[in-house]
Amino acid sequence: MVIEIEHLHKFYNGKSVIRDLSLNIDKSERLVILGPSGCGKTTLLRMIAGLVVPDRGYIKIDGNVVSKDSKIIVEPENREVGMIFQDLALWPHMTVYKNLEFGLKAKGIIREERESRIDEVIEKIRMREFKNAYPAELSGGQQQRIAIARSLVLKPKILLMDEPLAHLDPELRLVLQKEFLKLHEDFGITVCYVTHNRDEAYNLATRIIFIEHGEILKVTKPI
Amino acid sequence: MLRVFVLLGSVLLLIFIGFIPILFLFIKSFIADGRFSFQNYELLFDSKRTWILLLNSLSLSSATAFITLILGVPLGVLLTKTDLPLKRFFIILFIIPLIISPYILSMAWFYTLGRGGVVAGLLGEEIGAITSNFLFSFYGVLFVMVSVYLPVAIILTMTYLRTLNPALEEAARLSSKWFYILRDISLPLIKPGIMLSGLIVFVLTLGELGVPLFLRFDVFPAESFLQFSAFYNFNAAIAMAIPLGIITIIVLIIERRFLRKKVFQFGMTRMDYLIIPLKKTKPIFLIAVGLISSIIVILPLSVLIAKSIGGYPEAVKNSVDSIFRSLFYAGFGATLLVIIGFPMGYMLEHRAYRFYYTADSIAVFLFGLPGAVIGIGLIGMWNTPSTNFIYTSMLIILFGYIAQYTALSERITASALSQIPDSMEESAQLAGAGWLRRLFYIVIPLSKRGIISSWLVGFIFCLRDLGITMMVYPPQMDTLPVRIFTLMANSPEETIAALCVIMFAITLMPLGGLMVITRYMRW
Repeated sequence: MVIEIEHLHKFYNGKSVIRDLSLNIDKSERLVILGPSGCGKTTLLRMIAGLVVPDRGYIKIDGNVVSKDSKIIVEPENREVGMIFQDLALWPHMTVYKNLEFGLKAKGIIREERESRIDEVIEKIRMREFKNAYPAELSGGQQQRIAIARSLVLKPKILLMDEPLAHLDPELRLVLQKEFLKLHEDFGITVCYVTHNRDEAYNLATRIIFIEHGEILKVTKPI
Repeated sequence: MLRVFVLLGSVLLLIFIGFIPILFLFIKSFIADGRFSFQNYELLFDSKRTWILLLNSLSLSSATAFITLILGVPLGVLLTKTDLPLKRFFIILFIIPLIISPYILSMAWFYTLGRGGVVAGLLGEEIGAITSNFLFSFYGVLFVMVSVYLPVAIILTMTYLRTLNPALEEAARLSSKWFYILRDISLPLIKPGIMLSGLIVFVLTLGELGVPLFLRFDVFPAESFLQFSAFYNFNAAIAMAIPLGIITIIVLIIERRFLRKKVFQFGMTRMDYLIIPLKKTKPIFLIAVGLISSIIVILPLSVLIAKSIGGYPEAVKNSVDSIFRSLFYAGFGATLLVIIGFPMGYMLEHRAYRFYYTADSIAVFLFGLPGAVIGIGLIGMWNTPSTNFIYTSMLIILFGYIAQYTALSERITASALSQIPDSMEESAQLAGAGWLRRLFYIVIPLSKRGIISSWLVGFIFCLRDLGITMMVYPPQMDTLPVRIFTLMANSPEETIAALCVIMFAITLMPLGGLMVITRYMRW
């Protein structure tokens, strides 16, 4: 089991956003969290990443408690978690290469290894010729791939994805879903994917959980 | 048709009131003894003093801009992005120097560090002589200017950091510590904003008249003012004004060319922003910020207030007319600024008509121009027998306010209007409302906050103005800052200090009013 979540609670302005939520995510699983807007799915993802502190309950990653009862025990940068944001959050002042290099540098990885890791990932996503481009010079789909590559280059244990395809047109969304499944096959990483799109959930998941008002309503496996 | 009339009208009014006098000044600088001549420039550039003044003005402005950035950016980060206690209190403290006339602060420092000041009283005459020599040197002027304009760097850093899409930092947070995120992500992203605040401080320092005049440091605006008021040498005053105009144009070109389009579109999706936990370093930062605010704001203001005790009856007796005049001029001026600045801001935000960019450039150019230069321009244009009714009335002061400060109301309006989705006005348009109806029933009510902020900022800047008013005020029509400045040399210190405190209090009055309004009103 990669992630263990037990009796998690989160309140905003006295209002409960996550209610007594417990969940386990297995290695290499593609878990999709499905639910309407404001149901707490993004908050859950951000708590796993360490960007939001839970008010009660705990989260374990690889058997280690990372957050517990209003405390961040392991800082986000030490959790080995990657995240794809809804708006991708590519740093506009950095080239594709620099975007990918930033995290590796921060982790103190030597130059040669940085270069080889970036080359490897960028090759897999077929973006070699865009290495020196700025995010604004890329199409929506290309930006998407770079956002994924930026996370994968750090070799995280878990990849969290917060509605990354929400702003794309339906055709491109289908293409990227296929690409995503291919990348998952290549890297074999554990994925936790948030969406409110039912079709997307069924296309991508090995398991789906339905959340409403911060509680798990149902767990299902797509056929 | 009405739209064109209102929008174009506001621009033409600004050109007529503010730009034509400067153009007139420029043309006049080529005329000597009634003929076209370069004589004024030859005299200007042959004089060794010109180069000394230029060096003084540029070194003071550059050093002030540099130090305000060195101090202001980290303070802006601390006051926006960290869990530092008492943040709101510190923000208010740091803003105070910006809302009072800069020379009041230099006066407070004179009472603190001057030969007969508090430090001399506590530590002896010898130390007093050292601190006084420091205050009346380049470094003393620099110190006062930094304390005056530090809020510009702090406020702009805070503003830009708040517009940063939090996801950009969160993405970095998953692999990096805060130090690297600030160094490589947050600060590089707001670099254009930081550079802009440096340019603003540079220009404001370059145009500052009161502080250098009071601390006897030779710079262009002070020299220009002296040539005009002490020696009645209008040509020399014009010649002194030209280099300042040229420097302002260069700064404007830098802003337009290198900064204007460099601000990244952050595409903010959430209204919150990440807070850096200071953890164990919290007390250290708290002490550091407390110390800086105490030295820069609390100490001089406390000395000023202490000094003012006993001076109020005389101060009120001497200046009650100036106080009311200041409030009236500032209130009237701020209202005119809103009336002209709102359509210009609307035009800027909606990119209406091709000349929106030129109109904005003119407003910003006039804002960057030293007040003394605008004053000389206005005198040159209106001091004629046929236009004497303007030159000898409050109109000349109001013209000065409009010329210099329209950019402020224009930019505040544009920023407020940018928060209103286009669909608001478009839906009213589809419902059949004409432009004026849309303006009064949709746009103005939705930008109420912006209009009030614009009026308040205009009021504060008109009230604290010295550069223009000092140049153009007609006899018996001085404002409080001018009265304080003229009484300074031969009035008791406690009277002057009391006047400064009164000035400070009346500046704060509308801000207090705004706080009450925003607390109890629903918008």
